[in-house]
Amino acid sequence: MRMVKFLKMLSISVREGTATRKYPFESPLVTPEFRGKIEVDPVKCVGCGACTRICPPKALTIGNEGDEIVLKYFEGRCIFCGMCAYVCPQKAITVSKEFELATWELGDLYDEVVHTTVKCRICGKPFTTVKFVKEVEKRIDNKVPEDLLTVCPECRKKLTARKIGSKVVGVSGE
Amino acid sequence: MSHDYSKLIDELSRGHRSRAILSKILEVCGDSVLDLSRRNIIIKIVIKANCLRTALENIYKEHDLYLRTIAASDERSREGLFKLYYVFGIDSEGTNLVFEVPVAEGAKVDTISDLFRASDWYELEAHDLLGIEFNGRQMSRLVLPEDWPENLYPLRKEVSVEELKKMYQPQLISRVSELGVEEVVRIPVGPYHPALHEPEYFELYVRGEKVVDARYVGFMVHRGIEKLAESMKYDQVPFLAERICGICGFVHSTSYVQAVEDALGIEVPERAHFIRSIVLEVERLHSHLLWLGVALHLLGYDTGFMHAWRIREKVMVLAELLTGSRKTYGIDLVGGVKKDIDKDKIPRIKETLNVLRKEFKELVDVAMSVPQVKARLTGTGVLPRGEARAYSLVGPTVRGSGIARDVRKDYTYAAYHYVSFKVPVYTEGDNLARTLVRVDEVFESISIIEQLVDMMPGGPIKAERWEPQPMRLGIGAVEAPRGEVIHVVLTDLYGPYRWRVRAPTYQNLQAVPIMLKGVDLADAPLTIASIDPCFSCTDRAVIINLRSGSVKTLPIEVISRRVRENG
Ligand code: SF4
Ligand code: SF4
Repeated sequence: MRMVKFLKMLSISVREGTATRKYPFESPLVTPEFRGKIEVDPVKCVGCGACTRICPPKALTIGNEGDEIVLKYFEGRCIFCGMCAYVCPQKAITVSKEFELATWELGDLYDEVVHTTVKCRICGKPFTTVKFVKEVEKRIDNKVPEDLLTVCPECRKKLTARKIGSKVVGVSGE
Repeated sequence: MSHDYSKLIDELSRGHRSRAILSKILEVCGDSVLDLSRRNIIIKIVIKANCLRTALENIYKEHDLYLRTIAASDERSREGLFKLYYVFGIDSEGTNLVFEVPVAEGAKVDTISDLFRASDWYELEAHDLLGIEFNGRQMSRLVLPEDWPENLYPLRKEVSVEELKKMYQPQLISRVSELGVEEVVRIPVGPYHPALHEPEYFELYVRGEKVVDARYVGFMVHRGIEKLAESMKYDQVPFLAERICGICGFVHSTSYVQAVEDALGIEVPERAHFIRSIVLEVERLHSHLLWLGVALHLLGYDTGFMHAWRIREKVMVLAELLTGSRKTYGIDLVGGVKKDIDKDKIPRIKETLNVLRKEFKELVDVAMSVPQVKARLTGTGVLPRGEARAYSLVGPTVRGSGIARDVRKDYTYAAYHYVSFKVPVYTEGDNLARTLVRVDEVFESISIIEQLVDMMPGGPIKAERWEPQPMRLGIGAVEAPRGEVIHVVLTDLYGPYRWRVRAPTYQNLQAVPIMLKGVDLADAPLTIASIDPCFSCTDRAVIINLRSGSVKTLPIEVISRRVRENG
C-alpha cells in the first residue's frame, strides 16, 4: 500500500511537465508589476534633487560639474525600490521592466541628465538649475522674493544675517 | 516614588499578571524604581542598575514571561549615560514590559543570564558593541571578530561609519585544538569563510555515531546594519531592513515601520494594515515551502525538494504581482505602504491559493509516505518544553515543543485581529513536530489571505503626514516564518537614533546544542535545519580526524548520506 502512494509523485510529474522555463528563448519572465531599472526623462526632470535625497543606496546623485548640474544614475548601486519615482514631483522617473543589465562596459551602467544652471548673483557659483527656477516661478505664480531665485543658499544666509543685524543695531540702509 | 503604590499599579497594569509583577517589583525595589509609565501595550519601568537583578529574580518564574530582546544604546550625548532596554513579553496579556536601565560609563550591570538564558548573547553583544560591562558572568567576544581592537566599540556615537569601514578585515576563524580524549573526533559543521552566504559554524563532538556535545560560533558576517541606519532617513531604512534576510525581508521592514509608528503615534490606514498582512502571509508561504524543500533534500528525498520548489514558484510570481518584486518587496513606508492591491488582482490571488492548497496537500501526503522521511523526522532532535521556555524560544521551534507563542495572536498587529486562524502546536518537540507545525501553517496562511482579500476595506494606503519627535521609544514585532522578529527604535529628527533588530534565529540558535545532544550524526544536519536558520546550499563541513590529522571538506548533506551508507 505504502509503495503505491509513494509512486503517486510520478503521476504528478507527468501532469505538471517541465517546470523550468527555456529562458532566454521563452519570454516574458516577469509580471507587469515587475520593478526593473529606472528611466529619467531629461525633458521632465528639473534637477530638484528630491530623488537623490531619498534613494537608499545613493544610486542617484546630483552635483555641480563645471558650469552644469548633473543628475547621475548608477545602475550598479540601484536596488530597484522605486522610491525615486515615488517622490519625484515632476513625474520624470519611470520604473521599467528592464532587468537584463549585464554589460562589458562599466560606462553602460551610468545615465546622466545635464542641466544648465543659474549662477548666484553675489558669489557667481552655479547653485540651481534654470528649469528648477522656472518650475518654482510657475508653481507659486511669480510671487517669489527675488533673492530666493538669484542668490545661493550660503550667500542668502549671510544676507539675512546682515539684514537682521542692521535691524537690531538700528543701522539703516545697506 | 511615593509609598502607596496600589492606585498606580491599578492604573498601569493590563491584567492580573502585570499587576502581580509590578507589585512585586515595587515591593522589592521601592526607591530604586525611578519611574513607571504605560503607553498602549508597553509598561515601562525605569530602574536603577543595581536593583534590576533583584527585580528579575523575583519575577523570572512568572508564567508567560519571556525575554524578547535587549537593546543597548549610547545616550551619553543627551543624558550622559548608556541605557539598556530589557523587553519582556507577557504572552497571555500581550503586554510588553520594558525595563529602562541607565548605566553610567564604566559602571557594571549584574548579569541575568542565569535567570533568562536567552540574555546570554544580548549581554555579550552589548559589551562588544557598546562596551557595557556585566558582573557575575564570563565575558567573551560574540559579534566582533577576534582580531578587533580592544576598546573600540562600534555602536558608540563617536565612532563613525567611515572609521569602521576602514577597520573591517575579514579573517578566517580556525579553531582546531587538541581535545585530549582518545576516541572523540571533532567535526566542525558549517562554512566559516566570511565571504559565504549565511555562515554558521557548529562543532559537533561525536563518540561513535552519537553527538555528545555541540558548540556554535556565529556572527561571521555581522554587517553593522544598525549603525548604518543611524545615518539614514526614516523612509530609507525599510529598504535596508528588508535586506537583513534574503528569505523573510518583509517581516523586518514591517517590524521597523511598526516600531516607528508606535514610537511616534502614527495612525496607519486600515487598508495598509490589510496589505501588509497579506504580503506577510505570502512571504510565510514561500518561506515554509522553501524550508520543506530543503528539509526533504537533507533527508535524501530530492524529488520532494523539486516539487516543493516548483509549487513555491507560484508564490514567488504572486508576490511579484502584488508588490513589484519576487523577494525584496519594497512597499513598506512609515505610515503605510506605497503600493496598493488593485481589485483586478484578487481573482488571480484566489486562483493561485486554490492551486497551492491542492498541490501542497498532494505533496505533503506523498512525502510523508516515503518511509525514510517520517522515520528520520520522528523522535530526532528533541527539544523539551521546559528548555523551550527557559530559552525564550520563538516560532515553529517553540510551537513544536507545546507552547502556543505567536505574535499574531499574542501581540496582534496589522490586520490579524480581523481574521480567524489557528496556531498549530505539537508537543513532541522533535523534528517531525516542527515540520508539522510548518505544514499546518501553510494551510492557515492560505486561509488568512483568503479572508483578508474578502474583507479588505477601501481608503488610503498611507498616512498623510506625521511629525518626528526625538527620543521616543517604539517597539514593532512580527511573527516571521521562523518566529518572532522584534525591532526597538529610539527616534530622532530625521531617522532612528538607535535601531535594535532581533531576528528569530538569534533566539532559536541558542537551543540547537540541546537538540543535538544524543542525536545520530546523520540526523545532525536536519536537526540544525529544523529551526530553519536560513540554511544555505553552500554550507559545508570540515571533518578533522585528530589522530590521523586528515582534513576533508564536504557539503553538509553528504555527511548524512555518507553516514547512512556506512551504517
Ligand atoms: S525632477 Fe525628479 S528626477 Fe529630476 S531631480 Fe527632481 S526628483 Fe529627481
Ligand atoms: S530605484 Fe531605488 S535605488 Fe534605484 S535609483 Fe531609484 S531610489 Fe535609488
